[in-house]
Amino acid sequence: MNAAIIFGLLLALMLTGMPVSIALGLTVLTFLFTMTTVPIESVGLKLFTGIEKFEIMAIPFFILAGNFLTHGGVARRMIAFATSMVGHHHGGLGLAAVLACALFAAVSGSSPATVVAIGSILLPAMLKQGFPKRFGTGVIASSGGLGILIPPSIVMVMYAVSTNSSVGALFIAGIVPGIVLAFMLGVTTWWIARRNKYPRLPRADWATRIKAFRRSVWGLLLIVLVMGGIYSGIFTPTEAAAVSAVYAFAVAVFVYKDMPLSRVPRVLLDSANMSAMLLYIITNAVLFSYLLTSENIPQALAQWMVDTGLGPVGFLVAVNLLLLLAGNIMEPSSIILITAPILFPVAMALGINPIHFGVMITVNMEIGMITPPVGLNLYVASGISRMGMTETTVACFPWLVTMLVFLMILTYWPALSLWLPRTMGML
Amino acid sequence: MPLRILDHLEEWLITFLIGAATLLIFVAVLHRYGMDLSVRWGWDPLYDWLFAINLSWAQELCIYMFVWMAKFGAAYGVRTGIHVGVDVLINQLPERWRRKLVLFGLGAGALFTGLVGTFGATFVWHMAHTDATSPDLEVPAWIPYLAIPLGSYLMCFRFLQVAWAFFWTGELPVHEQAKVEGLDDEIEHDQAAGLPEAVLVGESVALTVDREHILGPGGRHRRHGGQAKPSGHKGSQGERT
Repeated sequence: MNAAIIFGLLLALMLTGMPVSIALGLTVLTFLFTMTTVPIESVGLKLFTGIEKFEIMAIPFFILAGNFLTHGGVARRMIAFATSMVGHHHGGLGLAAVLACALFAAVSGSSPATVVAIGSILLPAMLKQGFPKRFGTGVIASSGGLGILIPPSIVMVMYAVSTNSSVGALFIAGIVPGIVLAFMLGVTTWWIARRNKYPRLPRADWATRIKAFRRSVWGLLLIVLVMGGIYSGIFTPTEAAAVSAVYAFAVAVFVYKDMPLSRVPRVLLDSANMSAMLLYIITNAVLFSYLLTSENIPQALAQWMVDTGLGPVGFLVAVNLLLLLAGNIMEPSSIILITAPILFPVAMALGINPIHFGVMITVNMEIGMITPPVGLNLYVASGISRMGMTETTVACFPWLVTMLVFLMILTYWPALSLWLPRTMGML
Repeated sequence: MPLRILDHLEEWLITFLIGAATLLIFVAVLHRYGMDLSVRWGWDPLYDWLFAINLSWAQELCIYMFVWMAKFGAAYGVRTGIHVGVDVLINQLPERWRRKLVLFGLGAGALFTGLVGTFGATFVWHMAHTDATSPDLEVPAWIPYLAIPLGSYLMCFRFLQVAWAFFWTGELPVHEQAKVEGLDDEIEHDQAAGLPEAVLVGESVALTVDREHILGPGGRHRRHGGQAKPSGHKGSQGERT
């Protein structure tokens, strides 16, 4: 009963269009005030302690690093490198877009940032070369989704924070699925391009490739720095994020000299703006999950799920459907912060591995980003290509199907995500 | 005028906090790593020097800085329109209703932040009358917590400000996701330096539109391999106007 009231209230408030964070907070306040005797003043304290975890601080750092990389010339050099490697196959620049997105995803933790970084440079180039706008927009909007699957990933940090899982293990678990998905998106791109005879580039010789590699090596080194650092235990994920922010700053300002020092405050301010928004949702979501826990809702749901005998297979189908549905109307951080505390205990009760569950949720979020009406990647891509939302959505369709197939594989084949962290002894 | 000062103060504060926190953690990592290395390689003077610097408080200070940044940044975010909600439904409504719901949402924001600010203030007030100190920095515990009332009241004020502006002008701040800050500068810089410039987004869109005019919307299917420009250009680098 209480669960129905809480979720009904939350849904009603959210549908009025108020910020998700405010809707979460007001739901908690209203419920505590009218239905319980919990001293409402304790809320103030919760709002502070909610983000008093060092792991959460990885989020602002990764956003900052991502912004330095987007604004500096790192993305441009990665694109040049990707183009020299795969540009001669069918789909030329389209394939390069997938590879460049995957490379950029490995240094950035956000999907929209990946779409902006790669799309705003590569899409114009693709159009000029004679690719239809639809194809270009579709491939970039969907490949940008790799941003949150290939580590580092802000969405994974959110999941780890709200379920107390290990950020490091999640990151490592995202690597293999990320590569597989990039490959599948590439195959789709190649196939479409072959059928429609889209332009190819002449094969680049090895001298050009090595040159392109050398020029992009500063960006690529960041992959080694972050993943190597986390795996070898030199840094915690948060420290790795801070180091990568400083590194990205140094590369953008001093090595590539793409960004004058005078623009740094602006980048800091933008990053602070974005991070503060996410941290604000987190604080209120922590408040919300505190309410759920104190009302024993997740436990009751877990018990109910186990009793219905749905089993892990049925549960995972239900979770996928729920998240895909939620992905249509909400953005990823809110979905994870609201649903993870509820679904996680159920998953645990059914014996699903928490890391596998996290990777699966991340892929769901990725798909949510290219499904209308609310899809961050769609917004961003349609902003770059000046195409309408509907057309952008249609443009993404072939890759959307690819992603759904991938989601099925990932969901029912846990080894895909768990093999690497297991081999590395992180589980 | 005082409003302008407040705006700037807010921006400076959060810019400073995120920058300083990043540097702080970076230095703390270097410090720890430097100590490890100096032990391994037996550089005693370096080790002694590093050992004398105690950075155990760095993590705590970083958290406080980010909490402050989060609270004041959230207030700034109201002004920039970055706090998004589920606006699918209300955008379908007739303008009159949409307007009411938007005002309701902003009012709810002001109510919530106002309430939280008051709870926070009460909490800080009680805490200031105890001897509690923070674990590592050992400052009185109420000082870091001051972020809640100050930030929340500021955010409440921002909600009211946005609501007021919306009431009179019907305009809401919108956060532009796809804007790459400084990309235009980059192109101008390239031009000034005499470098070949990258294609502008708008221009390339115009090019596609032209092509669609000539070939028709389905024109791309008729463009076979032979027709496609066999350009030796390499992606972004090569595509010039």
